[in-house]
Amino acid sequence: MAKPARSETFTERWDARAPERRLLLWVLFGIGVGFLMVLGALPKDGIAVRALDLLPPLGFVLSFFAAHALFVAVGFRGDQLMLALVAFLAGIGLLAQFRMGVYAGDVLGVAHLVLPVGVALLALVTVALMDGRYRPLAAARWFWAVLSLGIVVLVLVTGQRFRGAVYGAGFITPTEGLKLSVVLFTAAFIDRNAKALAKWRGPIPFPLLRPLWPLALFAALLLGLLLVQRDLGLVLILGLAMLLQLTAGTKRVGYLAYGALAASAAGLAVLEFFSHGQRRVASWLDPFSDPTGAGWQVLQGLSGMFAGGLWGEGFSQARPRYTPIAESDFIYAVVAEELGFIGSVLLLIFFGLLCWRLILIASRAKSPFGMLAATGIAAVFSVQTLLNVGGVTKAIPITGVTLPFISQGGSSLLTTCIALGVVLAISDGEPKAVRKKTKPATGGRRRRAATS
Amino acid sequence: MDLLNTLFQSAPWGPLRIGLHVVFLLAAVYVLKQALDLRAVTALKHLAKPRAGFGIAAVLVLVGFGAVLVHQATWQLFGTTRPAFVAFMQLHDRRQFNPAHWIQRGRILGAAGTVLAETRAVQTSQGVAAQRYYPFGPDFAHVVGYADPRFGASGIEAAANVQLNGGNPDSWQDWGEIGRQVLTQAKRPKGSDVTLTLDAALQRLAMERLGDRAGAVVVLRPQDGAVRVLASSPSFDPNHIDADMFLRADPRARLLNRATAGLYPPGSTFKVVVAAEALDRGFSGRIDCPADGWTTSGRYRKIRDHEYYEARRAGRTWRGHGRIGLDTGLIESSNVFFAQLGVYLGHDAFRATTKRFLFNGRISIGAGHSRQQFMRTGRIPRIATSDRYGLAQASIGQGKVLATPAQMALIAAAVANDGVAVRPRLIAGEAPAVVGRFMRPDTARRLRRILRRVVVEGTGRGIDTPGLAIAGKTGTAENPFGATHSWFIGFAPADRPALAFAVLVEHGGYGSTAAAPIARDLMVLAKQRGHLP
Repeated sequence: MAKPARSETFTERWDARAPERRLLLWVLFGIGVGFLMVLGALPKDGIAVRALDLLPPLGFVLSFFAAHALFVAVGFRGDQLMLALVAFLAGIGLLAQFRMGVYAGDVLGVAHLVLPVGVALLALVTVALMDGRYRPLAAARWFWAVLSLGIVVLVLVTGQRFRGAVYGAGFITPTEGLKLSVVLFTAAFIDRNAKALAKWRGPIPFPLLRPLWPLALFAALLLGLLLVQRDLGLVLILGLAMLLQLTAGTKRVGYLAYGALAASAAGLAVLEFFSHGQRRVASWLDPFSDPTGAGWQVLQGLSGMFAGGLWGEGFSQARPRYTPIAESDFIYAVVAEELGFIGSVLLLIFFGLLCWRLILIASRAKSPFGMLAATGIAAVFSVQTLLNVGGVTKAIPITGVTLPFISQGGSSLLTTCIALGVVLAISDGEPKAVRKKTKPATGGRRRRAATS
Repeated sequence: MDLLNTLFQSAPWGPLRIGLHVVFLLAAVYVLKQALDLRAVTALKHLAKPRAGFGIAAVLVLVGFGAVLVHQATWQLFGTTRPAFVAFMQLHDRRQFNPAHWIQRGRILGAAGTVLAETRAVQTSQGVAAQRYYPFGPDFAHVVGYADPRFGASGIEAAANVQLNGGNPDSWQDWGEIGRQVLTQAKRPKGSDVTLTLDAALQRLAMERLGDRAGAVVVLRPQDGAVRVLASSPSFDPNHIDADMFLRADPRARLLNRATAGLYPPGSTFKVVVAAEALDRGFSGRIDCPADGWTTSGRYRKIRDHEYYEARRAGRTWRGHGRIGLDTGLIESSNVFFAQLGVYLGHDAFRATTKRFLFNGRISIGAGHSRQQFMRTGRIPRIATSDRYGLAQASIGQGKVLATPAQMALIAAAVANDGVAVRPRLIAGEAPAVVGRFMRPDTARRLRRILRRVVVEGTGRGIDTPGLAIAGKTGTAENPFGATHSWFIGFAPADRPALAFAVLVEHGGYGSTAAAPIARDLMVLAKQRGHLP
């Protein structure tokens, strides 16, 4: 199946990525139309449109085209759909956040920079790690482990609690970085010990403990510390991702079964010992028992959705601000209110496509490490999205995770961008002749950039 | 910038915005189509063949998204099926465009189409708002109930909440209507009407005749359980619900539905139950009833007949009933007779009777989509086998025996319907259902003849009206709170009963003086309105 490695001339490279360009153009057109509607809402609220307001869409358009141009320039062979899908999701996020007044400041702020920087990181990580250069990430596996535990301990020691979540200095959530570092460590570890991990023994088949214990200890430490910080959402995301990676790497579905057992036990323990978890489950089961307290946020979100109906009030017509702090975890309610049920169906189709694409790349990655890393990232992305939209629609209890690309939050966006960059790099395939290893430190520096 | 600002404030921006909205959605759909078209080009041919197992994962994720969307639709599109959610929005959602504020709740109608509750558009300081209006105020307050976003709902308003909000489609037409409202995003959703079995004129007469007195009236059709009157006094005005009503202790208990939840000693009306039990067991003997009463043991006060007290008050001596049978005992409402009869039949028989007559329970009288309206039947605690005096007291409807007016009406209806008790129902169109057989058919026929004689020659003779053939049993129930409660239960006409009733007037004195005339007036009007042959 190996195709001729890489187009050589610029014209060939330009033509090779025509599908991506075509999709991107249509996405940008749609988002542009949406932005016009959002701008039109400002005078209704008595705010005049300023030149500064055109900056966010400009940055959006330029950054995605720069990313595309970079892909063309280096002859990137990887997936053509993902950039457009990311652009659509990030565009919806931009519109929703603009509606919520994130860009309302008088001067150029950090908010304006987050998205362009994220897209730039995505493209740069892709280019840096493509052509099989992602493999050295596997060599640095203990670095990822130490980094992961370090982040958790750091946050535990220095973090401040705000609205139920733990933040590092200045509202940065360093724990977001775990979504990448934990996945990379797990992928690297399983890649190295796949055979031993796949050997099960006993009358009731059980994995051998000797190869498993470092990973098990790491998981127990990490998830335990996260539980102490009450970050239930992250525990779920990371736990599931690690289990799925184990299953994918060893072809042992039993890991999922034992994982489900452990998760149920942990879940019961959490419900038993943490009033926090009990409250969330109680307000999920019956939000009307305390409608103006515990149930307020989710009920306001649902009220907005009900008001939006099938077609939505249209960007600019609804009143999403009645849902408290909707710009972060409850942004999906804003979209469903303004674009209606149809709009949220469209949005979830885009999310579904992106998840499918990530899983597809994972299933087709040439190297086992690539497969494992992509599996982990796909799992993190899918689980996080499902947890968020499920929580907002009251299908499951609220876990307090962000909606990738749509929610406000720099740490979350940057981490997701870098993670998708890694998957894109994996989708580029392997070089013809596998090169010898490069320095693993490159990856480390990049990680730190993402978490600060 | 100025250009944009002028555009956004100009008149054509409105329609243009809607156009942009459509273009936006179409663009998103077009991107999806393009992605589909390009799948041949974007296939990752240079990568390995797909590994097994990942397809399942992808399908699971997509199923997850689908499930979220389905669940979301039950809130976003069909939120009216959740009454608590609708109430939350009406109360706490400041979005003026939220259709929940504009739901045209269905009307609640009486049997003849009389409007008992409707939603009207009212001009308020914040614009037009929908408001619930009850034309008859307090008259139907307990049974129809109230619907207030702040204080919730009660009565039929609660039981049929979902239907009234339009969230309970039970025909293709209803589904079509819901579909239309969702598609066109109707800002004035309309609920469906609920028709009750109540006769508004009879109910109003019952309330008028109760007047200031506390009490309850229940009238129903014995054959199918259709409730014609369910009145409870004193009442409240559902048009003016305020927090005070619920917070302040109300000595008159206006919120209590006395008809379905008020527990009263049934007094002599309970003798019908004991008589039915005796007849069912083939009792045909005579019992000696001494004038100065009877008791189970010298330690307890004697149970005596009302004639004894009347005679003593007048300074005369009464000779007593002597040896009498069940017919005379019931017609003359002899306490001495029934106390002895109850003890003769024994504890086991009494317990079995209590169970067969469905005491210590509740019966659904209005099934809604999510909630039901219930009537309590009564409360008769277990009487210890050693407690013979307690059994004697219970056999004359005193002591530990408590019953609701609705239960006593149901007992009268069972006598009228050959012993079969049909579930009382408020909502027209619900199928009649048998809740139990209270007595044998021949017992019921015999009781009908006896109860007719009560009105012709016995304690109820004051209300006999030509052409109505009322049959019934009076009750004068002693209670620890003051003067006796006045009861009258029965049916009319005696040979082919079309209506059964129970009337209770708290502290009304003799059953024959307070409760029975109300029953008579109701039967007169019922005949005029065609409920009686």
